[in-house]
Amino acid sequence: MPDHIVASFDADLRQLRSAAAEMGGICEKMLAEAVTALVRRDAALAQEVIKADARLDALQREVEEKAIMTIARRQPMAMDLRDVVSAIRISGDLERIGDLAKNCAKRTLAIADGFQAQRIVTGLQNMADLVMRQLTDVLDAYAQRDLERAMDVWRRDGSIDALYTSLFRELLTYMMEDPRNITFCAHLLFYGKNVERIGDHTTNIAETVHYLVTGQALSAERPKDDRASQARLEPDQPAS
Amino acid sequence: MTLAVPEPVRLQAVAAPGAAPSRAQEMDRVQIRGLDFFYGASRALTGVSMGFRDRQVTALIGPSGCGKSTLLRCLNRIYSLYPEQRATGEILLDGENILDPATDLNELRSRVGMVFQKPTPFPMSIYDNVAFGLRLTERLGRAEMDARVEEALRKAALWGEVKDKLRSQGTGLSGGQQQRLCIARTIAQRPEVILLDEPTSALDPISTGKIEELIEQLKAEFTIAIVTHNMQQAARISQNTAFMYLGEIVEFGPTHQIFMNPTKKQTHDYVTGRFG
Repeated sequence: MPDHIVASFDADLRQLRSAAAEMGGICEKMLAEAVTALVRRDAALAQEVIKADARLDALQREVEEKAIMTIARRQPMAMDLRDVVSAIRISGDLERIGDLAKNCAKRTLAIADGFQAQRIVTGLQNMADLVMRQLTDVLDAYAQRDLERAMDVWRRDGSIDALYTSLFRELLTYMMEDPRNITFCAHLLFYGKNVERIGDHTTNIAETVHYLVTGQALSAERPKDDRASQARLEPDQPAS
Repeated sequence: MTLAVPEPVRLQAVAAPGAAPSRAQEMDRVQIRGLDFFYGASRALTGVSMGFRDRQVTALIGPSGCGKSTLLRCLNRIYSLYPEQRATGEILLDGENILDPATDLNELRSRVGMVFQKPTPFPMSIYDNVAFGLRLTERLGRAEMDARVEEALRKAALWGEVKDKLRSQGTGLSGGQQQRLCIARTIAQRPEVILLDEPTSALDPISTGKIEELIEQLKAEFTIAIVTHNMQQAARISQNTAFMYLGEIVEFGPTHQIFMNPTKKQTHDYVTGRFG
């Protein structure tokens, strides 16, 4: 696409995109480190994740201010307007992803000193790996305005929901097996929910990329397979 | 105890993006077909075909010299004042080809009024400015004339500001008021179509706002075509927009499409300020 006649307009848009991209990078690092901290019960690393969130919040404010100034000063049209609106939306999603990763890190601190079998964490780790891939892919799709890649991310959200549902069942089972697991597993349940929510935000970003590239809001129902909210414990029937 | 989880629900497929709403039920007041225009030997418009919807605002945008004003000038044949200028093709007003040599130009111009970039009040009183055209085309008694002048000034949102000084010179008004006076002069003829050629480019933001507000009201009654260099203005006040370049219509469609999601690259480059 050719540059604007007003070169400083291009500079404004570049700064917006690069601030959003920096936010994406921080989120990836936070999520990856939050998972590593959990797997290794590494309190110091968890603290790093918590600290990183402040930078993310500052960047989000910067994106918002820049976006508002750009609208006020340049009255962007067509792709430029979608570019600005997308930066606002995506920075909002990334800020939330940061908050959720931070909450994961806090829960890691809460359970870091107790010993629990590693197998309990494995399911969560698998799910987090999948969400991590979603995040990386959607950020690439945003950077490259790649509609197909964004739609791949969008379609895959259902499988994260399914994993979360099975994780929920698995953790309930561990809790039933041994009440000493309850504190640890309860934290992991929230941890898992956070990761699943991060997945939802990557889906939001994929929808924003769809809007950015096509100019159309994605009106279709997003794929969902989260049935954890419907899961319940049923007392066994007495044998007759 | 056992753990109960419901069966998975089937994933929903991705639906195609919604189709644009149909505009077929709306009517064109003016229909242009294959219009070419020449200033002597030089061609200014090539194969222009488009419609102006009844009681809607249609904006013409494009870089200087692209033919916007020329196209507007065809709609009331004001170019016919200059013998070396000519148009070929068809311009149908209510189904009647106004390019036909037999067209009564005075009648045409009272049906298709025009307001220019710079306010052009006549050097006479405010009242006479508005009554001027009426005196040429209609025989009206004094009371009737007063009523028509008041009606036109009211519709042009100027009545409140000038009702106590109708006998003062039109040229003594501010730029924005002069422009509304010119609109009143046009409205007094009870035209079907109003042509506005950059009507606010010489006005301050407050006067511009008043004219835009006025256009919004006038479209309930008139078919309006406006040439503007102010893209935000076109986006605010028009329902349909034509982007012109080098004497041709590059893209014509609903205003929101032209400014939010144009289909042609040239349109996109122009509305986003990338035009080389």
